[in-house]
Amino acid sequence: MAAPTVTASLNAATYAPGDQMTLTVSYADPDTRALTVTVVVTDAQGNSSAPVRATAVIDPLAITVSDDAGRTWTKLSDTGSVAVYRAVA
Amino acid sequence: MPQVTVTVRDRAGHAATATADYRIAPPVLGGYYLAGNADPTADLAGGNFRSLTQYRSFADGYVLPGYNNTWLTVLGRDGVAVNLVLELKHYGAAGIGPQSFTVDGTGYTVPAPAMTIQQRPGTTWPRAYGYGQVLAGLCDGLFARTLAQYRGLGFPVNIQLASELDTDHEFGTTEAGVAYDWAQSDARAVQAMTYIVNWFKARPLPAGTTFSIGSGGFDRAAWQRTHPEALMARLDFLQWNVYATDPSHTALARFRRTRDWAVADLGPVALSRPVLIAEWGVRVAEFPDQAAWIATVPAAIARLNGERGPRIVRTNYFNSSWGTLNPKARGLAALRAAYATKPYV
Repeated sequence: MAAPTVTASLNAATYAPGDQMTLTVSYADPDTRALTVTVVVTDAQGNSSAPVRATAVIDPLAITVSDDAGRTWTKLSDTGSVAVYRAVA
Repeated sequence: MPQVTVTVRDRAGHAATATADYRIAPPVLGGYYLAGNADPTADLAGGNFRSLTQYRSFADGYVLPGYNNTWLTVLGRDGVAVNLVLELKHYGAAGIGPQSFTVDGTGYTVPAPAMTIQQRPGTTWPRAYGYGQVLAGLCDGLFARTLAQYRGLGFPVNIQLASELDTDHEFGTTEAGVAYDWAQSDARAVQAMTYIVNWFKARPLPAGTTFSIGSGGFDRAAWQRTHPEALMARLDFLQWNVYATDPSHTALARFRRTRDWAVADLGPVALSRPVLIAEWGVRVAEFPDQAAWIATVPAAIARLNGERGPRIVRTNYFNSSWGTLNPKARGLAALRAAYATKPYV
């Protein structure tokens, strides 16, 4: 099991009260793998069902964001490698 | 400084953490100046005015609060942030001579001002205490007198040395019969300003005292010459003035101009300092609807403060000269409205 990596960057160093703040989190883990499982059921007579696909992520990462000033950060998007959060200054 | 912490963790408990610091700036202080250093109390009433510019000459025996200026003490103690422009310039045509006076039991004699500034052709050139006189220690009595009065004021101020060095030097200066061009005058002024700041900082000052030097901010080369890092390390603010005097002038462009020069030309110490706009104004000749122009200022300041570079933290409207509000009531209403919106609240 490899160690994950993460970076966090804000869109500004200083905000005025009420400003929208954007936090961009970039993260990765060498063990993380996305895979797709395809299932086909076949009976004794050789009749097959239509394929059914299911996706899964091996060793996914959980992201937690905390703010020592008590701001609430809300996730706006997450690609699996880049997550964007918003808060109000 | 607030900090946001991000942790990522896999199913086996392997984790990584990253942090990012940020700062929440207080609102920008909306401010004012009334022509002739006049009592602005009535104009400020009912508005979110939190900052004030005042002008004094070191030659004046009543620098603080100023002759019969009890209102300044009231405003200052009420929390209005005062930007005190202190000038080597002598304001009066009469009474220019040596001065002898006593400060806290010590007698001083200060010679007559030996320099001329603002040497615009066809005008009478104002007199000022010379940079050479300052560096020779001949003006120390003026500083001592000012400091003694300042200590009795009861609240801290920002001391802005000179109103606009670029205006003072634009046409050269002359001290004791020697002419100096613009660049030479700037170099001499940097030495003299450094001397004065060091003189004050070497003595006990009211807690919260800050310093800056004055610039119109209209000439890029002069702006750079007068803001070396060694001097900026002694100062707390960048400062320039902002005027709309051409129909093409937008608030965003006018507040931006000197800021962009600063970001391009000045060093990291200078750029770490917040910006105090000691004067801003819109000239009624080109903008009959001054209120409409004033209404665009909050968004301009908010936008500039959202960009990389020094933050503008005080903006004092100059209701005099180019900035004279006419009609005054409508202009004041526009200022009140502007200062009631972000980033002033």
